[in-house]
Amino acid sequence: MKIGPLNIPIKEDFSLKSILDFERTPINMVLAVSVLAMLAMLLLGVGNYLIHSHHAYNVTREHPWGLMIAVYIFFVVSSTGFCIVGSLGDVFGFKDFTMISKRAIFGSIVTIMAGFTVIAFEIGHPVTMLIYNVLTPGLTSAIWWMGTLYGLYLTFMIIEFYFLLNNDMKKAKIFGLTGLLVGLAAHSNLGSVFGFLNARTISQGVYYPTYFILTAFITGIFLSFIVMGFRYKLNFDDKTKKLLEGLAKIQGLLISILIFFMTWKLLTDMYGGMPNRAEVAHHIIHSTPFYAEVILAMIIPLLVILKDFGRSPVLMFWASLSGMVGIFFMRYNLVHDTQVKPLQMMKHREYQLPPEWIHYFPSATEIMISLGGLGLCIALYYVGTKAFNLDEEH
Amino acid sequence: MARYGMALDYKNCINCKACEVACKEENGVELGAEKHRIWVGANNPEGQWPLLDIASVAFQPSQCQHCEDAPCQEVCPTNATYYDENHVVRVDSDKCILCSYCMNACPYDARYVDDRTMTVDKCTFCSDTRLARGETTTACQNTCPTKVRTFGDLDDPNSEISELLRTRDHFSLKAHLGTNPKLFYLT
Repeated sequence: MKIGPLNIPIKEDFSLKSILDFERTPINMVLAVSVLAMLAMLLLGVGNYLIHSHHAYNVTREHPWGLMIAVYIFFVVSSTGFCIVGSLGDVFGFKDFTMISKRAIFGSIVTIMAGFTVIAFEIGHPVTMLIYNVLTPGLTSAIWWMGTLYGLYLTFMIIEFYFLLNNDMKKAKIFGLTGLLVGLAAHSNLGSVFGFLNARTISQGVYYPTYFILTAFITGIFLSFIVMGFRYKLNFDDKTKKLLEGLAKIQGLLISILIFFMTWKLLTDMYGGMPNRAEVAHHIIHSTPFYAEVILAMIIPLLVILKDFGRSPVLMFWASLSGMVGIFFMRYNLVHDTQVKPLQMMKHREYQLPPEWIHYFPSATEIMISLGGLGLCIALYYVGTKAFNLDEEH
Repeated sequence: MARYGMALDYKNCINCKACEVACKEENGVELGAEKHRIWVGANNPEGQWPLLDIASVAFQPSQCQHCEDAPCQEVCPTNATYYDENHVVRVDSDKCILCSYCMNACPYDARYVDDRTMTVDKCTFCSDTRLARGETTTACQNTCPTKVRTFGDLDDPNSEISELLRTRDHFSLKAHLGTNPKLFYLT
């Protein structure tokens, strides 16, 4: 280890050469090319956005939030999830989970940075936002609280990571706990962005602010399996197996709770008979993305866990990949389903029926920037593994 | 200082859409079907073709309801949406960040993106145009051939709108959401 600027311990051999130096296995080559392609898409997408502004997106008056909002939520949920998993060891003192703390906290930093990158190109005027968020804060706005708290959260996560790198566990614990609390507050505020929408009865209420915390924890565990799977090339030692078995058991409980929550949400939505809510719920359960969410994020991982109570970490790695695809659909569905019902102001063009459901499919630019966010996230994480020692130090 | 509102004798509406045109012309609203501050809503005739009940068709002119408790104002992260001194819900385009939260929060679908400023725009009761010139009517009211709209100060007991609301039954759209709209539909 060498000591870099600001007393940050950096790996001795960290350089551009070390970044380019990786095992040339077929899967690594595919990953490297995919990440480079995604980064190229980010540049292309941003270029197209800068030329055409929001016209490059398929968002409309009736459906103002599109794929990039869903992807932003996907990344910040991932970040909060990583933060919760990382806190199990270094904040709450569960010894079995300490070995993933540093890696998870670093993961929380790169995922939220990817989320901020995507949202910067979704918000029409990000610089104005930075200025007027401070000068004329809208304290009744859930977006204001969410954005401000996430900014603070990122700061605390970076400070916590700094102390973890320096093995100063006492200070890491203080900033970790503060960051966790601020992150949970930010994340539930993100849920309340939807929960406060009285005009959209399918989302309105307390459900999303609480559900977001639950799904963040689930996402964090999926991601833990993925990063540990890559770290150990699916060849886990006993200590890691113990960690992953513990995480799998927690995951089994969390997914069961999620299924219970979702079942009751849908049952009350569908059979509560509330105008605008019941028909939307019926529409949702007849949509393909809903089944993608349920099967990929809930059924497959839960079956894998139940098979032998989480004792198959390799199988859980693959189930977690399926889970993350399902989590993406979960975020997409949340955003789309909130807006799918027209506001029924009797608007329609002459000689045509008013729209029954609002249709939306993301544009190429939205898809490119979203995939670019993923590429950026993976690239930053990879550089982090080359620069820092993310394993537990003894 | 006033508390502006509007009463709509909507059953008189003939769907000529002169109000939509006048609004666009007076306030420089962009062309295009999506870019509108006001609109004439219409339901579908009842019955099966060819036995359609033409008399069942009703028109409902609408726009921003200038709510007393506007959800769009509450959710704005930078206070770009604000109540002006006449209780009109306005947007300060210098502060708008185009997060589109207000568009999702408005129960009346009354907001759209102005592509020239890339900020959210909406009805202002002609505050920047006709009212700024000292006139006392809005463009949509002034042009309406069947005098559907009556604009005025709700705090002035002698105003025409106050008189109408005293003497005629009326309802507000989506009043159950607690937005306290200042657009009143006369029955």
